[in-house]
Amino acid sequence: MSLLEVRDITMRFGGLTAVDGVSFDVREGEIFAVIGPNGAGKTTLFNAITGVYEPTRGSVRFRGSQVRQNPDARLVRRTLVVGVTGAISTFLALNSQEIWTAAIGANYLLGKPFPWQQALADAWATARAVPAVWGVIPAIVGGVIGAATVLALWQRLRRTPDLIARAGLARTFQNIRLFTDLSLIENVLVGMDSRLHCGYWTNLLRLPGFLGESKRSTAEAMDLLAFVGLADRAQSAAGSLPYGHRRRLEIARALASRPTVLLLDEPAAGMNPSEVTSLMQLIQRVRDRGITVILIEHHMKLVMGISDRIVVLQYGKKIGEGTPQEIQADRRCIEAYLGAEDEL
Amino acid sequence: MKKRLDSMELDFFLQQLITGLSNGMIIALIAIGYTMVYGIIELINFAHGDLFMLGSFLALTVLGVLGIDAWTGGGTWLGVLLLLLSSAAFCAGLNWSIERIAYRPLRASGKLSLLVSAIGASFILVNLGLFWGGLPLDVFAGGVAAAAPKDFPPLVPNTNLLGEDSLVQLTPKDLLVLGVTLPTMLALTWIVTRTRLGKAMRATAQNPVAARLMGIDTDRVIGATFLIGGALGGFASVIYALYNNTISFQMGYRAGMDAFTAAVLGGIGSMPGAVAGALVIGLVRAMSDGYLETRWTNTIVFGILVLILIFRPSGLLGSRAKEKV
Amino acid sequence: MAARLNPILAFFAIAAALPLFFGASGLFYDAFQSIFVFALVGLGLNIITGFTGMLNLGMAAFMAIGAYAFAILTCDIYPFQVGFWWGLLLAGAVGAVAGFLLGAPTLGLSGDYLAIVTMGFGEITLDVLKNLEAITKGTQGINPLPRPTIGGWTIELQDERSWYYLLLVLLGVAVLFVRRLERSRTGRAWLSIREDALASQCMGIPPKRTRMIAFATGSAVAAFGGALFAALLSSTGEPNSYDFQVSILALCIIIVGGMGSVAGTLVGAAVMVGMNAIVLVKIADWFGAGDSGSSSNVLASPNNWKYLIFGLALILVMRLKPEGLVPPRLESTATGVPPGPTVSVPPAGGRA
Repeated sequence: MSLLEVRDITMRFGGLTAVDGVSFDVREGEIFAVIGPNGAGKTTLFNAITGVYEPTRGSVRFRGSQVRQNPDARLVRRTLVVGVTGAISTFLALNSQEIWTAAIGANYLLGKPFPWQQALADAWATARAVPAVWGVIPAIVGGVIGAATVLALWQRLRRTPDLIARAGLARTFQNIRLFTDLSLIENVLVGMDSRLHCGYWTNLLRLPGFLGESKRSTAEAMDLLAFVGLADRAQSAAGSLPYGHRRRLEIARALASRPTVLLLDEPAAGMNPSEVTSLMQLIQRVRDRGITVILIEHHMKLVMGISDRIVVLQYGKKIGEGTPQEIQADRRCIEAYLGAEDEL
Repeated sequence: MKKRLDSMELDFFLQQLITGLSNGMIIALIAIGYTMVYGIIELINFAHGDLFMLGSFLALTVLGVLGIDAWTGGGTWLGVLLLLLSSAAFCAGLNWSIERIAYRPLRASGKLSLLVSAIGASFILVNLGLFWGGLPLDVFAGGVAAAAPKDFPPLVPNTNLLGEDSLVQLTPKDLLVLGVTLPTMLALTWIVTRTRLGKAMRATAQNPVAARLMGIDTDRVIGATFLIGGALGGFASVIYALYNNTISFQMGYRAGMDAFTAAVLGGIGSMPGAVAGALVIGLVRAMSDGYLETRWTNTIVFGILVLILIFRPSGLLGSRAKEKV
Repeated sequence: MAARLNPILAFFAIAAALPLFFGASGLFYDAFQSIFVFALVGLGLNIITGFTGMLNLGMAAFMAIGAYAFAILTCDIYPFQVGFWWGLLLAGAVGAVAGFLLGAPTLGLSGDYLAIVTMGFGEITLDVLKNLEAITKGTQGINPLPRPTIGGWTIELQDERSWYYLLLVLLGVAVLFVRRLERSRTGRAWLSIREDALASQCMGIPPKRTRMIAFATGSAVAAFGGALFAALLSSTGEPNSYDFQVSILALCIIIVGGMGSVAGTLVGAAVMVGMNAIVLVKIADWFGAGDSGSSSNVLASPNNWKYLIFGLALILVMRLKPEGLVPPRLESTATGVPPGPTVSVPPAGGRA
């Protein structure tokens, strides 16, 4: 079984079809390249795979399942809870003064013990006596809030990038998106977030477990920085890195989640030949760690040098698939690149 | 009996409708000033409401110095025109200067520094308004109680155009509001969509760097935006003063908040949106004042704002730009 | 790390020593007590706006919620009377719940839309406090409020020095907690959302939940500050003590101090509130020495110059130090680190 099955992915933006019915399979442990002229829909395809966009049509299966939260009973329960809470709080907001006066104002005398049961009973009686009209408004408000929750939750049910990342697909971006004001090591630690367990209260109160995890994660992040050759600047801001190093940091950040699949969007863009060579080595070392790599790239030396299989896109459609040798022999694929790329 | 009641209810409803629309249109003029500035430099121009306030103080000063309230017949309308023009010129110039002094040097240093600078400018304008109220002029009651609200002479009569018997009041004031806002907005639409300046403004709003590279003098365009926004605020200040007949140095806050809310409600950056949002807010205010309790009006306005934004996160007419990944 | 902690330690060291020099002056205590209270509110806002990047223009509402929750829970005109310490704690909790309720439907909104919603929340809160007179006592405010007792010893209202140190210690605790969060997984998630929400989501961080936690935490800290504000006055004061001006003051504190920096918040509070409470009062005294009678001339009363001076100061600070008084937590250029030997280094490409 293949690791990632992309089936009939179609992305439309208004009238524009950026990706049109693309299907392919990625096998475990291979380096898989997506190539094609500018505007062929490669990045859009990546965005559909990683959940940044919801595809107009088609599916992406990872280890045989669509990464998606199931609309189970939890949705119904939450909607109910939120709706009822909304209704009750609206009711209280509209009638709070009367209820408060009846329950507390009338029962409380300074210095005397407060009759809690009496107060509750009075509050209940006052609430019961509220005219029906004032009951309708809370019901409506509760309904509206409940509906809004359904809307919000429904949006959460789509394939969101965070769920996909947690399932084991990590990515980099074409126009590098680092956290520029955070240090290098913090960038990597953010990438590691999905594997860390310390929650809010542990962090706040420094409960047991905090120190251990923080030591372990920092050490691991330093290892990753060393892996991409940036360990010596671990404490400086990511924004201060030169361009070529930023790509490496982005890769380290993506690797920090220990992904099954790493998606690289034009990792060699803007690099000089020596940087490209070391990037090729880096990608191969990543694969040797057992990580499947999918990359978009224009740099043909890199693509042909390290890919196991290649998919060629043009105008959003797949026009070829195969090993580097097969692609280099395919006339359609060569034509697609003629003029656009002279490196082939 | 029943029928009479129905017609009374209808009258009441129509009355609130007219009040709401008139107030909404005044808000709209201010809201456009917010939305234009936001559209072009992404700044919530906090000082705009107080600029509006100063505009009305200038109008009252001009009125007092020239003795316009004594003019009669056609002279009154000439006076109103004079007030509109002087206030618009003043606000435009002031807005432009504020941009020059307080915003332009900070444009490169980020949204929030700009915002704080705008807050600072707002404080200064409020304080100037307080001082202005202390001018020893008759229209300011001799300037003895500087902080007190000032009466604005009713240049425009409050007679009912629908006849004395009608329960619905439609006064020349309402017509004045319409007569000022409608042509202004049409002219503005023309400027933005048809002129070179308008094209340059839209280009700068979309991508200032690219606009500059294409040879657009973005500094000048931004300056022009502040000029126009200020002028609209000036118009608004005069019609507000003539409509409500009282002004105070603190009114900029309320007006500014309404207008900014309107701009956001309509989709900030969109001019038709600002107008739509302003009309909605004017109407909601009037209806809430009329049918519910005045003291809950703010709560209702903002409650409706939140509900609308939950369902339309970019405002009524705003469009959400897709982020390029 | 130690170098970054220093401004905070310095702040507390100086603050702890100050009463030795100015101990006699009531003005001093008034000023510093409000500096500490507003530092707390600023700290809360710093979590929401500084760390997580959500512009909040309604911080005063959370301060008010804290103050009123504290008052209702402790004042002897109501039956709850949970006592000072429980009141503080519960006020913080109520603030968190309020933040959660406001945040749940609205935190999906982008920047300035959220700003207007928070501003509206501030207005609504004021209206509610004014209108629900049976509960909030309207413009009277709820009073008197209990005094804190520590092991049988009660800090009386007049004992300004003890209040000073009590506030300083509580502020210290809050700063400690906020720093802990900032330098943990929780805080990193907040910062990453501010830096690049999409990239952060693609790293597996759920944006909405993370924002919500930040919002609730910030609200809780501000509510805590509000509760102390009320405790200091022994009254909630009238609802207008929590108006938009207060929200704006909180915002100015964190921006003037330096966004996203805890030390910056402390410095910002000292500068902004200090200016309000010391400098302007001093100026008033100074002017007032010459002309004490109530003049009809508006310019003669120094109190009338307050906003002008405040506004000018804001603009000046922003022009001279647009990044805030305390510089950002990391230098944006790495100094002392040689570039990697094998790679040719193009000039740092900027952030565009």
